[in-house]
Amino acid sequence: MLELQGVTKRFGDTVAVDNVSLACRRGEMVGIIGRSGAGKSTLLRMINRLSEPDAGKILWESREVSRLRGDDLRRWRRRCAMIFQQFNLCPRLDVVTNVLVGVVAERPLGPTLFKIFPAADRARAVLELDALDMAHAALQRAGTLSGGQQQRVAIARAMLQDPDVVLADEPVASLDPVNAEVVMEALQRICHERNVPVLVNLHSLEIARTYCTRVIAMAKGAVVFDGPPQGLTPAVLERVYGRRAGRTLEPLPAVEAA
Amino acid sequence: MTAAVEVFEQERRRVLRRRRAEALIGLLAFSALLALAFQRSEFFSADIGGDPLGRIGEFLARMVPDLKAEALLEDRQARGSLAWWYYDLPLWLRTGWQTVEMALIATTAGAAAACFAGFACARNLMPLAPVRFVVRRTLELIRTLPDLIVALILVAAFGVGPLAGVITLALSTFGSLGKLFAEVNEEVDPRPLEALEASGAGLARKIRYGVLPQVLPNYASYALLRLEGNVAAAAALGIVGAGGIGVELQRAITYTEFDTYLAILLLIVAMIFLIDIGSEQIRHRLIGLGAKR
Amino acid sequence: MTPADMDQALELSPRAVRPSWRDRVLRGLIGALALAALIAMAVDVGVTPTALAAGSGKLATFLRAMIPPNAGGELVRIVRALGETFAMAFAGTVLAAVAALPLGVFGAKSVVPQPLLHFGFRRVLDMFRGVPALVWALIFVAAFGLGPFGGVLALAIADVPGLAKLYAEAIENCDEKPLEGLRSAGAAPPVVLRYGLLPQVAPLMASQTLFFLESNFRNAAVLGIVGAGGIGFELEERIRIFAFDEVAFIVLLYVVCVAVLDTISQRLRARLA
Ligand SMILES: Nc1ncnc2c1ncn2[C@@H]1O[C@H](COP(=O)(O)OP(=O)(O)OP(=O)(O)O)[C@@H](O)[C@H]1O
Ligand SMILES: [Mg+2]
Repeated sequence: MLELQGVTKRFGDTVAVDNVSLACRRGEMVGIIGRSGAGKSTLLRMINRLSEPDAGKILWESREVSRLRGDDLRRWRRRCAMIFQQFNLCPRLDVVTNVLVGVVAERPLGPTLFKIFPAADRARAVLELDALDMAHAALQRAGTLSGGQQQRVAIARAMLQDPDVVLADEPVASLDPVNAEVVMEALQRICHERNVPVLVNLHSLEIARTYCTRVIAMAKGAVVFDGPPQGLTPAVLERVYGRRAGRTLEPLPAVEAA
Repeated sequence: MTAAVEVFEQERRRVLRRRRAEALIGLLAFSALLALAFQRSEFFSADIGGDPLGRIGEFLARMVPDLKAEALLEDRQARGSLAWWYYDLPLWLRTGWQTVEMALIATTAGAAAACFAGFACARNLMPLAPVRFVVRRTLELIRTLPDLIVALILVAAFGVGPLAGVITLALSTFGSLGKLFAEVNEEVDPRPLEALEASGAGLARKIRYGVLPQVLPNYASYALLRLEGNVAAAAALGIVGAGGIGVELQRAITYTEFDTYLAILLLIVAMIFLIDIGSEQIRHRLIGLGAKR
Repeated sequence: MTPADMDQALELSPRAVRPSWRDRVLRGLIGALALAALIAMAVDVGVTPTALAAGSGKLATFLRAMIPPNAGGELVRIVRALGETFAMAFAGTVLAAVAALPLGVFGAKSVVPQPLLHFGFRRVLDMFRGVPALVWALIFVAAFGLGPFGGVLALAIADVPGLAKLYAEAIENCDEKPLEGLRSAGAAPPVVLRYGLLPQVAPLMASQTLFFLESNFRNAAVLGIVGAGGIGFELEERIRIFAFDEVAFIVLLYVVCVAVLDTISQRLRARLA
């Protein structure tokens, strides 16, 4: 179980994440919604420890991960796969190497610096790519792929991380509807097959309703709603997004974030 | 193993082989060139007097002036004072100023000529294709000539002195600015030109009222950039006898006064630096002006 | 001309379309002053029409003597000297790149985040960026004797500040996203640099170094003038004895070689992009 206890993050005067406490069980697909600047990205980044919380604890299976340092921290990051809106691949490296990044934390430093990996790792990487219909591009430079293809490579990398937790920060915000569906289905599959919690930041309520079993809404750094997607009534949405949302439920007003 | 993995491994071996071959060829070619370059230039085989590190140390020791803390602020007669180090400062400042003058004159003359050339080879302003062709080729030819070689020939013709340097710099300024100005002209906004044409203006008026107001800030900014380069180049030109502070550098070497060389070098660096800062300020203001226009 | 056209012209350059009298007088005054100052400077350094006329005759004779260009029976020697010049340029650029690499790394804001240190370091680089290679060559030849050693050293030292600055900028301007992606997967810092940073900056740095190499091919000829070896020495010798047909031959050959090398280097740079 992933637990957050009173997690807070400040940037100067702005409180990006304000005393957030929550718990996610294995197999839960959690959508996090909220206006731009609500603190969604900051929350996920703190779980992966790309960003340090100012207060509070983050626990995985009762172990405090917000305290880890050095190798332990890297091992946690490896187990806590993160998927980004802009994919964050290395554009000049080939696809398979980008996927193999998923195991670098566990492999000896010397050979990895020369991009040498065991054949078994390569085989796994190709199989993960193949599952996402990307094996044909394995030796192409990642930068030459389309956005949807790059995001699939990023998911293959996350798979190679053998994740205990999957975090996805607006994974479909720069993709067309078809690719968005492919990516969201892949995340859903991971959630079920591996039985891990998946936390997805989303700007589309429709996607949240379709794929998530639970929705957390944030406003100004705090959690203002936590429950099943059916609970997203106009009144709740007004609290999350402000006045306009109450009147025009769909489509979402928060596309301004893109 | 599944088919996908097998296909991948095969493809990977092929790609890897090709990449390794390419890398090997590249590495070999580079090493060969490097070895050849160092052999030809005798960099490591040069006989600089047995013990090279000692030689470099000795050189640095001769270049750094023998300043004494207690005598630092005394006059020229006191060994180890600043005034003793910079013993000919008035002359150096005068020749330094001469270098700046050379750069200013050359930049102005070159830029003025480049203005005409820039109009004469801009596709949107000069309708006669042969004229454009000739001007363009001329500018190209001038740009390919190495400055200091031109200077050498001009010194032979005009004698030792700043004149040869000024002509050299003016020529190369003309060559490079002519091309840049033409590019600026070709990117001019055509709307005011059309407005003027509609009112029956001729080519001269079109340029005066439609083009110049748009391009002048860009021209000035390029010319200033070139001025910065010309001050440094003018300092070097003195070394081949083309006037300015470079002559003093050459003289310091003739008398093997390495500490004097350093003194003048620092003076040149300061001079270039001041010009750069001043010109940068003006350029930033010009860019603001161009943006507002 | 319609009123709309007029408005447009006015908006694009109001003062050009309707200058006020005060503006015109002021501008004329400033122009006249600048012109006077320029003429005074020209007189001061001896750039006068008479001086110009005095030398033009000689220059014309020189130019006439250049045709037809002629190797003077010393083709082998010339080619050898030319090779030496290009070898100096190559060696100097490589040395400069090697020296500039650590300076560039430590000059990058992202590596040394101390602003004062960073600012001071950059300023020093900026100051010495302007010193031409010839100025360095003059003293190195005096210190280390005639020959290409001083020339190589001069080219290298003249290039270091400029290259270091470009390298530092390449590192500063790199895209952070890949690095973050690597960190998020638990990659150790050396792996982050090797996978995320190196593939981004190495091609850029190589391309900038090639650019400097091109410029050094162009400039290395002059080093011979102060005795630093190569074609410049041959040129100076022939200018001194007024053998202008041979001068023309050498310059032509040099310019053609530079053009060829430029093309090769540009091809390489295009491949790096
Ligand atoms: N590195 C940072 N430095 C300073 N302020 C930051 C930083 N990162 C985030 N913030 C601030 O923290 C707040 C929350 O930002 P965050 O990126 O988490 O929002 P978000 O909900 O992900 O928004 P979006 O939907 O636009 O991605 C914002 O006010 C933002 O300006
Ligand atoms: Mg965000």
